[in-house]
Amino acid sequence: MPDSVSRRTFLKSSALALAALAASAGTAAAAPLLRGPDNEPDDEVKKVLREKFGARTIREGHVTLDVPDVAPDSREVPLLIESDLPMTADDYVKGFHIVVDHNPDIYLAGFNFTAAIGAATLDTRIKMRRSSHIRIIAETSKGELWSASRFVYTSLNGCV
Amino acid sequence: MRDDIGQGKIILPAKITRDSVINIRALLSHPMLTGMSRDQAGIPIPAYFVNEVEVTYGGERVAHFEWTSGISRDPFVGFSLRATKEAPIAVTWRDNKGGVYTHSADVKFTTTTAQATR
Repeated sequence: MPDSVSRRTFLKSSALALAALAASAGTAAAAPLLRGPDNEPDDEVKKVLREKFGARTIREGHVTLDVPDVAPDSREVPLLIESDLPMTADDYVKGFHIVVDHNPDIYLAGFNFTAAIGAATLDTRIKMRRSSHIRIIAETSKGELWSASRFVYTSLNGCV
Repeated sequence: MRDDIGQGKIILPAKITRDSVINIRALLSHPMLTGMSRDQAGIPIPAYFVNEVEVTYGGERVAHFEWTSGISRDPFVGFSLRATKEAPIAVTWRDNKGGVYTHSADVKFTTTTAQATR
């Protein structure tokens, strides 16, 4: 069965290539391949952030966004959001805000919590119009803003 | 139009102990149309989506969500809750056409030896 052998060889070499790609993505030099374009929000996104959060500083950290680098279906991109910020009665995560730079609605959704939830985690599925940064902003009850962002590649327009 | 709109469920863990943080999953059948697509005849399909979600626990509001049509069809949301009491968790979804859908599940504590020694 020469066919299956060549297929196996092919799979093996492509797996190696993928592994090499994944490994190189870990280094700073090759990072742009998977990190996508500049992380800096464009003017429209900045405007949305300003409308929502005013002049308050949005810092990076304390939030993690788990999302595939390449979304297989842009109509259903799974997001898993977590935060290590405190969750006590007088200091808690008041909400998670989802911003997608290149979607028709840049401010996609807001998830508001009370201290009763006990842990700031969120799991949902969103649509994406095209490859874009997804930004998560966590707002604390004290008014602090913490963020995480990821660039996600998509193929088709999922905003149906 | 689909005839299952508004059906849904709230899924709780099988075992819940008092004061533990549990994961709650809420699912609703809803088309979540953006209003930006067209049907086969080229006629625009109007926007039709859930824009507000409220979560109550024993009648008290513990979370509320503001959505756009950017949330996927048959919207799913998973979040945490500290199980402090045996009470119903109710999720109410409201859409832009006035539809209101509520589903709930009861938090009941598992009786275990660990529980008994508390």
